[in-house]
Amino acid sequence: MLAGENTMTAGPAEIASSDFGRVLVQRERRFATLLLAPAFFALLLTTTFPLLFLVYTSVYRINLSMPFMNGFVGLENYKVLLADDRFWHSLIVSLVYTISTVLLQIVIGLALALFVMNMKRGQGWFRIIAILPVVLSPAVVGMIWRTFMLAPEFGIVDYLAITAGLGSKNWLGDPSLAMVSVIVIHTWQWTPFAFMVLLASLASLPEDIYEAARIDRASAWQRFRRITLPLLRPAIVMVIIMRTMVALTAFAAIFTVTGGGPGTATEILNLYAYRKSFTELSIGYGSALAVALLIVTIIISAILFAIRRSK
Amino acid sequence: MNARGQVIFKDIWKKHGEFVALKDVSFEINPGEFFALLGPSGSGKSTTLRILAGLDAPTSGRVLIDGNDVTGVDAADRDVAMVFQSYALYPHMTVAENISFPLEMAKVPKSEIAAAVFDAARKVKIEHLLDRRPGQLSGGQQQRCALARAIVRKARLFLLDEPLSNLDAKLRLETRVELKKLQRSLDVTAVYVTHDQEEAMTLADRMAVFMAGEIQQIGTPAEVFAKPNSIDIAGFIGNPPMNLVNAKYSDGDIILGGQRFKTAVQITGSRDVIAGIRPSAIRIGADGLKSRVDLVEHLGDTAVLDLDIGGALMRVRVGDENVPKEGDTVSISARPQDFHLFDPETRKRLV
Ligand SMILES: Nc1ncnc2c1ncn2[C@@H]1O[C@H](COP(=O)(O)OP(=O)(O)OP(=O)(O)O)[C@@H](O)[C@H]1O
Ligand SMILES: [Mg+2]
Repeated sequence: MLAGENTMTAGPAEIASSDFGRVLVQRERRFATLLLAPAFFALLLTTTFPLLFLVYTSVYRINLSMPFMNGFVGLENYKVLLADDRFWHSLIVSLVYTISTVLLQIVIGLALALFVMNMKRGQGWFRIIAILPVVLSPAVVGMIWRTFMLAPEFGIVDYLAITAGLGSKNWLGDPSLAMVSVIVIHTWQWTPFAFMVLLASLASLPEDIYEAARIDRASAWQRFRRITLPLLRPAIVMVIIMRTMVALTAFAAIFTVTGGGPGTATEILNLYAYRKSFTELSIGYGSALAVALLIVTIIISAILFAIRRSK
Repeated sequence: MNARGQVIFKDIWKKHGEFVALKDVSFEINPGEFFALLGPSGSGKSTTLRILAGLDAPTSGRVLIDGNDVTGVDAADRDVAMVFQSYALYPHMTVAENISFPLEMAKVPKSEIAAAVFDAARKVKIEHLLDRRPGQLSGGQQQRCALARAIVRKARLFLLDEPLSNLDAKLRLETRVELKKLQRSLDVTAVYVTHDQEEAMTLADRMAVFMAGEIQQIGTPAEVFAKPNSIDIAGFIGNPPMNLVNAKYSDGDIILGGQRFKTAVQITGSRDVIAGIRPSAIRIGADGLKSRVDLVEHLGDTAVLDLDIGGALMRVRVGDENVPKEGDTVSISARPQDFHLFDPETRKRLV
C-alpha cells in the first residue's frame, strides 16, 4: 500500500525531470551533430564516395585504349577475375607477403623489446634509432634499399654477400630473391612499430609477478611462456591486426623497388590492380580487382577481430 | 623433519650507491621458528627478506640456509616460498592456476596437482573461489590466494612481507591467528616482516628489531618488551610506547621532577640518565610525584592519561575504575624494577 502511494506521488516529479533530461540530451545531440558534420562530410567525400564509385566502375567495361567497347557488363569482370591465373597468383603473393612480414615483425619486434627491457643503459638511444625507419616514407625506403642496400656490387647487402663468400646476387632480378627482398624491406621499416608497442606493453607489466615466478622456481623460458606471452597477448593481437591491414594494402615500397617484377614475382594484389588500371588502362577490370582486395581485407580482419574477442 | 629451514645471516651489508640500506646485519633462525623482522618504515626489513629469498644480492656478507652457503644462489634454486606485500598474483591465471603454478614448475605429476591445490585452498578457506581470477577477488581473498600459493609447495622456508597490511583491522586480527595456526600445523620456518609491533609480539617466537638498517635487538617478544636495549626500541615497542624522561641518577635512585625514586639499577657515581617507564607500570596512589591530568583518553576497558610532570609529558594506562578527571592532581609512583635507564649519549640501556 505504502509503496503504491510512493510511486504515485513520485510519478509527476519523475515525468518532469525526465522531460527536462530529454530536452538536455536532445540539445546536446544536436550540438554534437553540428560539430561532427564537417568531418563526417569530408570522410564521406574521400572514402565512402570513392568506394561506391569503385564498386560502380567494377560492373562496367572501361578500357581507355578501347573506349568504343565501354559499357555496362554486370558481373562479367568478376567472372573473368575468378578464371584469371594472374589474379590468383597475385592473391597468393599478397598472402605470403602479409603473413611473412607480420610474423617477422612480431617475432623480431618482441625479441628486440625483450632485449631492450633488460638493457641497463642506452634504452633511450635505442628507441630513437629504432623509430627512424617508421618515420620515413615507404617510397623513400624503397629507394634507399634499391640503391644503397641491394644494388649489385655497390649495395651494402650485396657487398656483405660478396665478402661473406656468397658472391654477388641479383637481389631484385631473381624471382624468389626479389620476394625475399621486398619482405625484408617491409619488415625492416615496420618492425620498430611492433617493437615500440610491445616495449610499452612490456614496461607496463608488474615487476613483482616475475619475482614471484622466480620464487616459484620458473626458469627464464617458463617465465616468458607462462607469464610474459599471455600478458602481452592483447598487444600482440592488436599489432597483428594493424600490421596485417597495412601489409595487405602495401604499395609504395614494392612499387619503387621491383614494380611487381621480375615478371609478376612480387606482384601483390594491390599492384596488379594498379597495373591493370593505369598501365593497361583497363579501369573496369582494375576496379573489380580492387574490390576483390577489399573483400579479402574485410574477411581477414573479421577473422582477426574474432580471435581478439575470443577469451 | 624439523631440521629444515635453518637460516644464518652473517655480516650482511647492502648498499644502493652511497646509501647504506643494511649495516652489518647478522642473525640466526632456528628450524621451525616463527621469526619476525620488526622495524619502522624504511628500516631495511624488506631488503633483508629479499636477500634471504635470493631476489637481491647483498653487497657483502653471507647467507646460509641449512648449513649451505646460498649467497650466490638465485631465488629459483633456494627452495623458499614467499608471500609478497603486493601479493604478486598472476593476473591472467585463475586462483587454481595460481596455486598450481609452483607445482607445475616443480614438475609434480598432473594427477597429484589438483588434490594438492584443493588442499592448500581449503587450508586458507578459498576452495570456493578456485575459478576466479585475482581481479575478481577482494583484498583478503587475494591475500589468502597468495598464502595458498606459498604453502602448496612444501618449501623449507616461508617468507612473508607484511602480508596483512592491506587488510582491514578486523580481518587482520582474524588472519593473524590463522597464520599462526597454519605455521604451527605445517611445522615450517617462517620469516615475517612487519612494522606493526603488535603483530610481531603476538606471532613471533623471536624477533629482530630493525632501526635505520641495523638490528638493534634480537630476542623473544617478552624479552624485548621487558628489556629494550636502546631508547629507540623502548620508544617503538609497546602501546602507548614507554615514557622517556630526563632524570638524574645517584646511588641506585633517580631524581625525577624533584622526587626521588628507587630503581633496580646499580652503577657507580651519579650521572644524567634517561628514565623509561611503561605507561602500564605507573601506579596512581596516595603518595609519589604530584602531577596534573591534562587529558583523558577512554579506550573502553582501559584509559590513557596524559600527565604533566614539570613540563614533561608522561602517559599512564589505568583500568576503567576510578579514572581521574582532566584537571585533577594525582600522585604517581612505580616499582624499582619498572624503571629502565638509558645513557643519553649512546642511547643504550644501562645495566
Ligand atoms: N633500489 C633501491 N635504491 C635505493 N634505495 C633503496 C632501494 N631499495 C630500497 N632502498 C632504500 O633502502 C631502505 C630500506 O628499504 P626497505 O624496503 O628494506 O624498507 P622496509 O623496512 O621494508 O620499509 P617498509 O616498512 O616501508 O616496507 C629505504 O630507505 C629505501 O629507500
Ligand atoms: Mg617493506
